[in-house]
Amino acid sequence: MLQFKLVLLGDSSVGKSSIVHRFVKDSFDEFRESTIGAAFLSQSIKLDEDDTVIKFEIWDTAGQERYKSLAPMYYRNANAALVVYDITASDSLSKAQSWVEELKNKVADDKLVICLVGNKLDLCQEDSGKRSVEISDAKQYADEQGLLFFEVSAKTGEKVNDVFKSIGESLYSYKKEELLSKSEQNGTNTHGQVDLQLQKPATSDPTSCCT
Amino acid sequence: MVTNGGDPLRFSTGDGIDILASKEKFINYRFKAVRSPSVPNFHEGNYKNLNSSEPILASPIAAQPNYESDRDTENLVLNSEHDGTNSLIDLYRDEIVHENKDSNDSEEGEIFTRKEEEIENSSEVEQAFSGSPSKLVSVMDNAEHFDRYGFRKQNNFITEGVYNKWWEGYSQYCIRRKHKWVMLLEKSGLSVDNDMPTRFPPRSEKLKRYVRKGIPAEWRGNAWWYFVRGQEKLNKNKDVYEKLLVKMGDLNDEQQRKKLIDLDVIERDLNRTFPDNIHFQKEQFQNKEPPMIQSLRRVLVAFSLYNPKIGYCQSMNFLAGLLLLFMDEERAFWMLVIITSRYLPGVHNVNLEGVNIDQGVLMLCIKEYLPEIWEYIYPKQKLENQHKHDSLNISTEVLKNEFLFKLPPLTLCTASWFMSCFIGIIPIETTLRIWDCLFYEESHFLFKASLAIFKLCEQDIIKDKPLHKTLGQYTLPNSNRTSRYSRLSQDDYDMEIFQIIQSFPKRIIDPNDIFEKIIFKKRIALNRLDQQEIDRCRKYVSNQRLKYKNYKDLIGDQESLKKTTNRMNNNINIINNNNITRESNNNNNSNNNNNNTSSAAESLMKEINMTNDLMNDTLSSEVYGFKKGLSSVHWNNSIKERVKQMRRKREKDYQT
Repeated sequence: MLQFKLVLLGDSSVGKSSIVHRFVKDSFDEFRESTIGAAFLSQSIKLDEDDTVIKFEIWDTAGQERYKSLAPMYYRNANAALVVYDITASDSLSKAQSWVEELKNKVADDKLVICLVGNKLDLCQEDSGKRSVEISDAKQYADEQGLLFFEVSAKTGEKVNDVFKSIGESLYSYKKEELLSKSEQNGTNTHGQVDLQLQKPATSDPTSCCT
Repeated sequence: MVTNGGDPLRFSTGDGIDILASKEKFINYRFKAVRSPSVPNFHEGNYKNLNSSEPILASPIAAQPNYESDRDTENLVLNSEHDGTNSLIDLYRDEIVHENKDSNDSEEGEIFTRKEEEIENSSEVEQAFSGSPSKLVSVMDNAEHFDRYGFRKQNNFITEGVYNKWWEGYSQYCIRRKHKWVMLLEKSGLSVDNDMPTRFPPRSEKLKRYVRKGIPAEWRGNAWWYFVRGQEKLNKNKDVYEKLLVKMGDLNDEQQRKKLIDLDVIERDLNRTFPDNIHFQKEQFQNKEPPMIQSLRRVLVAFSLYNPKIGYCQSMNFLAGLLLLFMDEERAFWMLVIITSRYLPGVHNVNLEGVNIDQGVLMLCIKEYLPEIWEYIYPKQKLENQHKHDSLNISTEVLKNEFLFKLPPLTLCTASWFMSCFIGIIPIETTLRIWDCLFYEESHFLFKASLAIFKLCEQDIIKDKPLHKTLGQYTLPNSNRTSRYSRLSQDDYDMEIFQIIQSFPKRIIDPNDIFEKIIFKKRIALNRLDQQEIDRCRKYVSNQRLKYKNYKDLIGDQESLKKTTNRMNNNINIINNNNITRESNNNNNSNNNNNNTSSAAESLMKEINMTNDLMNDTLSSEVYGFKKGLSSVHWNNSIKERVKQMRRKREKDYQT
């Protein structure tokens, strides 16, 4: 099992918590209480490739501007970031873009996987007049910046799992690269598997620390 | 008269029923259904009764010492219908009074149908929800799923069954406490005033104890208002709220509104405030905006106009929302002003520095009062590992308190405890009990309650986590793998603790879990915490954070600082080695060059050391002072005690 830290960022009420709850609990509430501070959740998925299990440790954050000062605590050591905007609110995309910039400036890890996610797709499917961010614009921005990109609906669940799966795949391929280059350095190709095991959290492995 | 009825311990052992045996008629009247919840064909009525028999809501009855005659209670009930109150609990009470009258009058089997009739016919009940019959029915249909404040009983952590079972006992506790309060007020010569007392006895240990055991729910609005001296504030600011509302009305200009970012955020948060409370749900109001949401909007917008320094901060929606369940808009507004200035200074400010300061203070408190838990939150090894190789002992004084600046991840969770004063963190009855104490005892109670929660989940934090062993295993020096591992494992600890701290409080359904198990136990150290300590700590942490910030600005960030000093250190070592060789060789010829490099490096070193000394001096000269600045003495005592114990144990071992 590989374990990765993922942080959710984005303007208030774009649906960060709803996306997480859809992914973690497969549930949705029309009105969800505003997140104060942060919430921590985790969920595992299995990748098609090599049957690899990926565990996401997810930091869900408060969206209001002033909480931004706390953000470095969340994205410190993060492996992936989900930057969410609301496709029915164009302001929220510019907020998302400023998050992307901040991440690129402040996070040293160039392997950080950033995924741009437009939420509330269901609203636009009901009434296309509600859309205020064109998919092509967002996609173009994501391509320029080298981000993964999805439009999802936390309400219907559409594409939500795809987001995490695709992040998981990216993280996994980075990890494999890293391990390969390492084992080449060491001249041993067979130890990749062992090193993977090392990623296990020490505390959840009773044989490594609790006996 | 029962004298020990107020002893909650007796209550919790199930003695409550015995205690109240002399009032059996009264109990039957209110709790018949509760005591026999499994009777078939009575299910619906039971649960309705269980929900609505909240004794507090029909408080005039509980308040009356003479329970013997139904006539008396009837009269009181009638009185209470016209007491002209405006809080929602009282609206609720009216509804409940009807139901109770109903269940009292009718045969058990008839309750359900009669109740339905009543719903259709009673205009008063309709008024209680200020609207049409259809929405009323929808409320009544679900009534058993909601508590006395209108919150859904069930959530992710507590089932309705668990809630009902707990409430069965707790509601009796509430009756008894209410009774005690009535007697206290009467003894103090204060009027209970149609069950809406507006004045309370002078401050005393006894009153403090009463508050800690819970203010009767329908008195809370008035009691909080009284304890925070709200009227004083309001009298000094007559018409201010009204003027703010006028100003708010003038904000129609689209341009003008856009400038106020807060309005937008407020708007988005209105429907995200207590979505599980019927007073905030538009389904209960024919999908129109509930009056409660309208009030909430006015209070929050008025506040953001009144105090632009704070404006609107997410979490204030919960504070205002809860206040509105207990008092009218204007009072709720002023309470919000008082909470954000007096009890949580700076916490909601734009830069949130106040919340960071309070988190620093909380960490100091845990370090002081719960050292066993502190070991897990901030292992000593962490500090040692970080600076082990800084052989200059550089700025260890500064870094000793590093956790005040680089707050542990856990504080991302505990920050919300303070921002919303536990709303949404702990189940509602427990939250309200903490609010009672907050307004009577001031802000240190938030810290005390936080410590009590940590104390309650101490075992969860510590169990299965052999801290020393684990960390010892991973802190082998000079090994890349282990150092990576050590980092991982501390991260994992942080996450585990975070998860415990995040979910544990949500199960504290019974306020007495905190109060009886912790707060009332004098021997538990954290109960020594008082307001002065918190005031001093806040000042200390605030200064330390400021100085640290200046320090960082001065020196550059920590990383480059370390690099510089390490480099310097290496140079010095080389120089010293050279010096040693030189001295041993007694060779004076090559001295000059070495001396030159040496002196340059030394002067640089001196500079750095001077800055550090300066910082160490300033940072450590202040005493944050638990117990009037005797913190070190206090600590030494506890260490001394521990050493003594160890010695005694060792001596014993020797003897045997």
